[in-house]
Amino acid sequence: MKRIIVPGDLVEDKPLHLMDTFIEENKTYATVISIYDDEKKSLVPLEGLWYPQRDEPVIGVIEEAKLNTYTVQLSAPYKGIIISKYTEGKIENGDMVEAYVKELDKTGTVVLSRPRVLHGGKIVIIRPAKVHRLLGRANTMVKQISDGTGAMIKVGMNGAVWLKGGNIDIATDAVLRIQNEAHISGLTERIGNMVKDTAPKNASEPQAPKKHEESA
Amino acid sequence: MKNNGIQLITNGKRLDGRTARDMRSIKITPNVVKNAAGSASIEWGNNKIIAAVHGPTEALPRHTANPDRAVVKCRYMMAPFSSSEEHGRAGMNRRAVEISKVTAEVFENVILLDQFPGTEISIYVEVLQSDGGTRAAGITCASVALALSGIPMKDLPYAVSVGKVGNDLILDLDKIEDNYSEADMPVAILPRTNSIVLLQMDGAMTKEQFKEGLAMVIESGKEISRIQKEAIRAAYQEPEKEKAHM
Amino acid sequence: MRTITNEFMRERIAAGIRNTKRGNMSYRKVIVNTGNLPNAEGSAEAIIGDTKVIAGIKVDASTPMPDTPEEGNLTTSAELLPMASESYDVGPPTPESVEFARVVDRGIRHGNIIDMSRLFIEAEKVWGIYLDLYVINYDGNLFDAGTLAAMAALATTRMPRFEDGKVIRDASMKRMQTGNIVTSCTFAKVLDKMLLDPDSAEESIAKARVTIANDGNELHAMQKGMGGSFSPAEINELISATFESSKELRGIIKKSIGD
Repeated sequence: MKRIIVPGDLVEDKPLHLMDTFIEENKTYATVISIYDDEKKSLVPLEGLWYPQRDEPVIGVIEEAKLNTYTVQLSAPYKGIIISKYTEGKIENGDMVEAYVKELDKTGTVVLSRPRVLHGGKIVIIRPAKVHRLLGRANTMVKQISDGTGAMIKVGMNGAVWLKGGNIDIATDAVLRIQNEAHISGLTERIGNMVKDTAPKNASEPQAPKKHEESA
Repeated sequence: MKNNGIQLITNGKRLDGRTARDMRSIKITPNVVKNAAGSASIEWGNNKIIAAVHGPTEALPRHTANPDRAVVKCRYMMAPFSSSEEHGRAGMNRRAVEISKVTAEVFENVILLDQFPGTEISIYVEVLQSDGGTRAAGITCASVALALSGIPMKDLPYAVSVGKVGNDLILDLDKIEDNYSEADMPVAILPRTNSIVLLQMDGAMTKEQFKEGLAMVIESGKEISRIQKEAIRAAYQEPEKEKAHM
Repeated sequence: MRTITNEFMRERIAAGIRNTKRGNMSYRKVIVNTGNLPNAEGSAEAIIGDTKVIAGIKVDASTPMPDTPEEGNLTTSAELLPMASESYDVGPPTPESVEFARVVDRGIRHGNIIDMSRLFIEAEKVWGIYLDLYVINYDGNLFDAGTLAAMAALATTRMPRFEDGKVIRDASMKRMQTGNIVTSCTFAKVLDKMLLDPDSAEESIAKARVTIANDGNELHAMQKGMGGSFSPAEINELISATFESSKELRGIIKKSIGD
C-alpha cells in the first residue's frame, strides 16, 4: 500500500538504507514528506532540497564576473563558481548559463565546468524533488512538452528549467503542472493532452497570441 | 497567586465551555505564502498565525555562519492589531526576542543541520490575532511549514501549554486563563520520542502537578500531531496550488 | 535568482504579451475579504494575483494633534514581512515600506473616507485610527493591494465607546461611518507600453511607475516612482484609464463590505 509519510514517521520496523530516511534503534524513519510503498519498499520524496551530484547539469544566472572566476546563482543554498580558464566566449553578469557539476568544495560552493550561455528565453524554478518527474523515464516527459509546444527546454537538476521559443506559455504551464501534480496518477496523459499540437505554426517566430499573429 | 477573583472554572466547565482537558479547535492550512520555501497558517481557537520558512541560504552576516552546520534563525512577532485590546507597538520587544530564541531552539533539535554547513534557515512566525498560547501555536504551525519546505527533519514537533486553576490543571490556556491562572507552562515535544524541546513555566506548581501536566501535554499531542499530518497530506490530495511561477 | 532576461521581457511586451496572459490595461484576479481578524476593530485582506496584503485597524483613545485639537487622527504603518519576498529583510522600516505606507495613507486621508471631526471624544481626547498594512506575499503592485485592503478594513471598522475614562470594545460596537470609496491604480512603463497592475517581473524592468488614487469623481493621491519619466500626455491618458479601471475595483470593495 502506498502512503504519505512525514518527517519522523516510521518507514519500516527494521533498518533500511533508503534516501531521505534515518535509522534509530534498528528502525527506519522518514526525514521528508514522501510517498512510501510498503510492498515495493520504495520511497519517493514529495519535497526535498537539491544536493549537487558530480556531472549533473545545472542552470543558473551569472552573479558576478571576477578576475578569473564567475559566481553563479543556483538554487539555495548553493552558489556556483566557474573558473574562467574553462570558458569559451564572453560571459556577462545576468547571463543564464547551463553548466555541469565538477565538485562540491568544502565551503559549499559548487565548482562548475563546461558552461554554455543560454541566449534569450526564461527560467522557471521548480522544486528540486520534482525534477525527475519532469524529465520522465529517458527524458520522455520533457520531450513530450518540447515536441508539443515547440519550445526549447533545458532542465537543471537544481530545479531551474530554461525555456525558449515555441508556445512558451503552455510549456511553462506544463512544467508547473508536473511540479504540482507529480504524485497524482495519469500525469503523462494530462500533460500530453495539454501540449499536443500547441506549437506556433511558424516555429521560427516567437510565440504570440492569435490576434498578433493575424496582424503580423 | 495571580488569581484575583475571576472564576475560571464553574462546575467543571471553563469560561468558554471546555473541560479541563479540552483543547480549543485547531485548523492548519498548508502553503499560504507562495514566495516561501514552505508555509502554513494555523487557527488555534482565536489565534491566527502564519509561519513561513526561507532557506537554507548563505548565512548573513557572514560571522553568524557556522562552517559545520546550518544556523536556525527565528523571528516571532505579534502584529500591532493582533490583540483585542489596545494597538500594540510595532517591532520586536523583549518577549518576542525570547520567544524567537526558544522557537529556533526547538527546531535545532530536529533539522538535519549538518547537511547544510554555512547556511541559515529562517523561520518567520507572524501572529495576526492572539488569544493566549501563540508561541505553542506558532511552533505547531512552523513544524508544518518546515516539513513542506523539504528541509529534512527527524520529527514534527508540536507544542501546547498547560496551566493551573486552584488545584485543577487545565490544558491549552486562552488569554483570560493565561492572565488569571496560577501557573502557565508551555511545552514543545518531539512526538517520536516524547523528548521535551521547549519548557517554560511561571506561577506555582507542585512536583506532582508538573508530572500530571506533562502527561496531559503528551496525551493531547496525539491529536495535535494528527492535525499537523492531516494538513500536510491535504497539500497533496488535490493538485497543489502552483508554488512557483514565471 | 533573476529568472527573466530583459531581452525576453522586451520581446514579449513588444509583442503585447504579459506573463499572466492579460491585456495591458487589465488587472490580475483581485479578491478582497473583510473581517478575518475580529480582534482588530477592522480587518481586510486584498489579493491581486500572487500579491497578498492584510490591513488591520485598531481604534484607541489618543491625544489630538496640536493643529487639529478637535479632530481624530490616522496613523498608517506598513511591514514588508520578510516571509513575503527574498528581497525583504528583517529590520527597521526601509524607504520602500515607508513610501508604501505613505502612498496608501494619502489616498485614504484625502479621499474623504473618514470624517475626522466625528472622532472627537472630549477636550484633549480623540479617537486615533491605527492602520497597519502587512505584506504577506509580494508579486508587484503593493500600492493598489494596500489601498484595497485599507479601504475595505476602514469601511468595516467598528467603533469602540469611551465610558468613564475607558475604551469599551464589545459586541455592540457599530460600524464607523465612512464616505467615499477610494481605490488606486498603478501603472508601470515598460519600453513605450503602459502596463496596469505590474507584477514583480514587470516592475523589475520598468522605467517608471505611477499610482493614481481616486474616488470615481476626483483624484486624491498620486505618486510617481522609479528613475524614468512620463510625458504629460501619458499621465493624462493614465488618469482616464484609472477612472475606467477603478470602477471594477470599487465594485469589488462594495461587495466585500456588504454594501
